[in-house]
Amino acid sequence: MATSAESSAAAPVNWPAVVAWTLLATTAVLLSFGALVTTYDAAMAVPDWPGTFGHNMLLFPFAEWFWGPWDLFLEHGHRLLGATVGMLTLLLAAIVFSGRSSPTLRWLVAAAVVLVVVQGALGGLRVILDDKTVAKVHACTGPLFFAVATAIASIASRRGRGADRAADRPSHDPAREVAAPPPPSWALGAAVPTVLLVAAYLQLVAGAQLRHADATLAPTTFRWMVILHLLGAAAVTVLAALAVVAWQPHEPPAARRWSRVILALVVCQSLLGAGAWVFTWGAPAWIQEAWPVAEAIRARSPRGAMVVTAHVLVGMAILGSAVAMALEWGGMERLERLVGAAPRGRSAPPRAAAGAVGRVA
Amino acid sequence: MPTNPTLTATSLRAASMRPLQSCLLALVVAATTGCGATPPAWFRSNMVEATKQKLTPDQERQVATVLLAMFGTPDDPVAPPETGLDVAKLQLAAGPVRSDIVGRKNGLYREHCAHCHGVTGDALGPTAAFLNPYPRDYRPGVFKFKSTERADKPTHADLVRILENGIPGTSMPSFALLSETQVDALVEYVKYLSIRGETEINLMRAFFELDDEAEGKLPETREFLVGEVLEPVAEKWKAAADALIPVPEIPADLDLEASIAKGRELFYGDKANCVKCHGPTGLGDGQANDYDDWNKSIVEWKKELGGADDASWLSRAKQVLTGDALEPRTIPPRNLRMGIYRGGRRPIDIYYRVHAGINGAPMPAAKGTISPEDIWHIVNYVRSLPYTLDGELGADRPALVRDRF
Repeated sequence: MATSAESSAAAPVNWPAVVAWTLLATTAVLLSFGALVTTYDAAMAVPDWPGTFGHNMLLFPFAEWFWGPWDLFLEHGHRLLGATVGMLTLLLAAIVFSGRSSPTLRWLVAAAVVLVVVQGALGGLRVILDDKTVAKVHACTGPLFFAVATAIASIASRRGRGADRAADRPSHDPAREVAAPPPPSWALGAAVPTVLLVAAYLQLVAGAQLRHADATLAPTTFRWMVILHLLGAAAVTVLAALAVVAWQPHEPPAARRWSRVILALVVCQSLLGAGAWVFTWGAPAWIQEAWPVAEAIRARSPRGAMVVTAHVLVGMAILGSAVAMALEWGGMERLERLVGAAPRGRSAPPRAAAGAVGRVA
Repeated sequence: MPTNPTLTATSLRAASMRPLQSCLLALVVAATTGCGATPPAWFRSNMVEATKQKLTPDQERQVATVLLAMFGTPDDPVAPPETGLDVAKLQLAAGPVRSDIVGRKNGLYREHCAHCHGVTGDALGPTAAFLNPYPRDYRPGVFKFKSTERADKPTHADLVRILENGIPGTSMPSFALLSETQVDALVEYVKYLSIRGETEINLMRAFFELDDEAEGKLPETREFLVGEVLEPVAEKWKAAADALIPVPEIPADLDLEASIAKGRELFYGDKANCVKCHGPTGLGDGQANDYDDWNKSIVEWKKELGGADDASWLSRAKQVLTGDALEPRTIPPRNLRMGIYRGGRRPIDIYYRVHAGINGAPMPAAKGTISPEDIWHIVNYVRSLPYTLDGELGADRPALVRDRF
């Protein structure tokens, strides 16, 4: 029996996974900077693009950026991180397309390359045209890229488990499929992970419309946008609770873990949403009746900025977790079918197959 | 439809855009949202006033043109010298949000104020409908919390204080984290919007006084536009610094307990009659069905519409009420036991409120009916109300209120 040291020495480094996780982590930091840029209205702290105050963006003096004004620190930092994410995505594409990666992973990485280019261009146009509509689109593409990056990291990591590629899986054995437990009878439960994923993304889109609302927008329009965001929050909460309830013992344990993580995040997100409301508009009159506060709220306070920004980031975390859960919960098979990578003739439903594959691997 | 005075600026901006950028923007935006780029900010016409005065579209256009010439646009404000406004400060506050390499930020009003108060200062910003009370509409030139007499404008320092402290109990935050220069620029811009708004109202009302020879057009002479319309508004702002409420010094040997007792007597007495609105317990549970001036004007106009017989005007008025005004709300009298003082918690702030009342609100002025010494007694009594007998905050709790009485 090989020792653990021997087996780790023998195992080749899973470079797609290493780069994918680095990309995901960098994207998380990039999104944090992006959220802060919006919170502090710092998008126009640098008036030119792709340069920074006439310098090549990458050669802008470090000290001037790092010790400079806060808005410049955020905006230029966001750009540097964006460039890093772009380069990491290209590196990942080079690794994935030159190796033996699965078609699913290749498709996702190709999508990431397209998205990162579009997102970079949108960021540039937002600055050059100083346009809020472009800013809104930029804010919707960011989470989309994050979702794809999460899927890539999740799938690339499976290679170690032998689950990312149809080719890596054990040969098609009808006997194993027959042995797989039956799918849940509750059809709604089967759709919950996908619907939750879509709802989490749409909720981020709705939030982006509120954060980038133009000052010329009519109050009635804005009111409907807020109502939509609140309804979206209710929908995500119900779906997160359903995901916890819908999980059944024969389904992947990882999916259950993710469903619990999402529910916890949703609870946290609701509190942050209420906090964001209070830090933006003050406590409603009925709350003030119960807890009178003699001081006015402080605009642009670090605490307020933190709560508002955290609300965006936890929204991203919910989206990322929803992607991971959906992949564990039959989404991987759906993706493979979508890109034509699933082995033909598989008759078992995706969730049952996922369970079987998981056990075999 | 309100006219858009910055339409020309839009066209120029679009024309100057590089072809590659335009194509990229069109592609990306059309592909992802299916809608166009955000239009530049523009001043909305005061449609409530225009409809009340039954202005024709030509007359509305004339007002918009005169205002454009006098005050410029939200991105490029100008101020006639008669206003005494500092254009450099206005430019710091106006326009879209942007900053330079040393972090000097422009577009402060758009960044901090416009989402509630609106680009025009008409209290119709996107978030306005959520706020209670609604944000201030600067256009009538009426401000509540100030150190000047009721009918006078606030001083520059009054507005600075509001920005620095915010208005507790409302959504108006404190901008204490902004620099002095930034607060100063914002105050100047608020004055600019107020002067512009009041000038607009005066222009619209001037049509009513035209004789037949004018053929429904305002005279476009400097004598009329500046001398008769703008200057009376601007002069009031300039005079504010000299209209401070005189405040007698508090006697050094004042017996606070006796003063509070005297204040209580006045509070319940016929002369001050504070109890009528603030209620016998001071919880603000007296008369509570009144409106402030901004809401009252809409309520009264709605009543007038009931008797209107011109169907097309009526339909236009209803449209304006939906799109250019918020649903009127009553203004509850302040609960004096919460320890929240919207106009400031200093004794002198409460003195100003009692002396001059609150402009635009039902709170009347005590000036003339109550002596300055007695006003101080009321101030001392009011300041004692949030405290229980043992000196702790929290007298708004009903059980404790019973203890006090």
